[in-house]
Amino acid sequence: MTNRDRVKAVLNFEMPDDRLPAIEWASWWWDRTIMEWQKQGLPANLGFHDIAPYLGLDQHYQFWLPHRDALCPQPKFFGGPIAEDEEEYEKILPHLYPDGDVDRQLEFMRSLKAGHDAGDYPVWFSLDGGFWFPRTILGIENHLYSFYDQPELYERILNDLAEFQLRQLEKIYSILTPEFMTFGEDMSYNNGPMISEDCFDEFLLPYYNKVVPYIKEHGTKVIIDSDGDISRMVPWLKRVGIEGVLPLERKAGVDVAALREVHPDFLFIGAFDKMTMRESEEAMREEFERLLPVMKKGGFIPSVDHQTPPDCPLERYHIYVDMLKEYGRKAVED
Amino acid sequence: MSILNDISENLQRGKAKVVKELIQQALDAGEKPETILSEGLLDGMNIIGAKFKEGTVYVPEVLVAARAMNQGAAMLKPYLEEAGVKSIGRACLGTVQGDLHDIGKNLVKMMLEGKGIEVIDLGTDVAPETFIQTAIEQDCQLICLSALLTTTMGVMGEVVKKAEEAGIRDKVKIMIGGAPVDEAFCRQIGADVYTPDAASAADAAKALLTA
Repeated sequence: MTNRDRVKAVLNFEMPDDRLPAIEWASWWWDRTIMEWQKQGLPANLGFHDIAPYLGLDQHYQFWLPHRDALCPQPKFFGGPIAEDEEEYEKILPHLYPDGDVDRQLEFMRSLKAGHDAGDYPVWFSLDGGFWFPRTILGIENHLYSFYDQPELYERILNDLAEFQLRQLEKIYSILTPEFMTFGEDMSYNNGPMISEDCFDEFLLPYYNKVVPYIKEHGTKVIIDSDGDISRMVPWLKRVGIEGVLPLERKAGVDVAALREVHPDFLFIGAFDKMTMRESEEAMREEFERLLPVMKKGGFIPSVDHQTPPDCPLERYHIYVDMLKEYGRKAVED
Repeated sequence: MSILNDISENLQRGKAKVVKELIQQALDAGEKPETILSEGLLDGMNIIGAKFKEGTVYVPEVLVAARAMNQGAAMLKPYLEEAGVKSIGRACLGTVQGDLHDIGKNLVKMMLEGKGIEVIDLGTDVAPETFIQTAIEQDCQLICLSALLTTTMGVMGEVVKKAEEAGIRDKVKIMIGGAPVDEAFCRQIGADVYTPDAASAADAAKALLTA
């Protein structure tokens, strides 16, 4: 079975013939992890996309579409604003929503079409979501105040964002049909959602209702990327047509088995507790045993519940990949 | 009595301007500043904190309520000083070295202030030595440590060790919080209290200071 077909099967709640996909969904590796692994023998000359197959993972390609150009002002401090009000937003508008930058990235996507058609790899893409994107503009804290202080500005940003994204989606689908996509959101933390359901409905629902149907019409599965405990938000997400969630952080309290009981039709990617990778082989095996019953139920691609941490030795990561495939095979056994 | 309720309720809705107007009315009516603080501002913040803990209000609601409380408290400050009212204790707070995440830390600060605790906010990426030096120089009874990253949570243990080395471990309580830490980690590094959320942190801090 091809890499692409394995992913497609799971996304359609079907079991692959041989095993579940073996991917690290966060395909942009943590630079500190790569630096550590290079000290431990990972070849330094591997290109960004060559690392996964070198480590024995299935090849896949992710495209995170740029939403600002290279000259866009940077926040003065981590999590700081680049525009705090409507006037400042207008000033940075020339640097936002850069069609040209997306076009350049999509040239690379075009070069992957033949391999994608042949099933060599799945392709997926990511968009800044309606919670995440305004936060990168307004700054982490000011963004949370903005629901109360500047609702009109929030609405305007999301209108502009949806318009831009719909233009880019048209270009993507003229090239190929990605298997799935994510909205980068990070709108939960370890105690659940950062905003209320009312707030979600008032601000985010209209945005999702503009963008999600277009993506689904083309057959791409729509998934939310949100760290933290997303459990309570799943019903809200389903109402706007979202079909799955990643990365299901264990340390934030997400129980993927409990979620599967309540939501048998929702896609899951992630859920493997990254903290076990710094502990031992036994801890990792115990973690796979925890996940196996959910893997057997379908609609779930097990993967590290965020990037692999730098304190997981390369040798242990090789063991992890072997186990990922071992349990991926067990999951599809009758 | 009803004006204090109004202050509390408007604070819970984040209506800072209305809260300040009501405080002025209460002062003009001869209400004691410490009563306005405790039965108006702190009462409102306690209710928000409890609702946050039970998951019925969310981060934006806490932020706007805390902003109303801070503005109201700033207005009351000279009256409280004149009346000789003191905070129930002093804490220094920060996100540990190597970690730049501060929203959780800021929520804890607001909740602590909502309990009448004076907070020295050391910001983010704070070295262990800075926590210790501040605790000594500012006579803090609490050191509150926040971390979001698995790679920085270990710094919390260094703060505990530095407190021991500086001979202040029996004079300060060390509290920890943040996504990657838990009760077991708290015990492992020898900190005093782990709390899973900002409102619980404030409850625990008050309990420690009033024990």
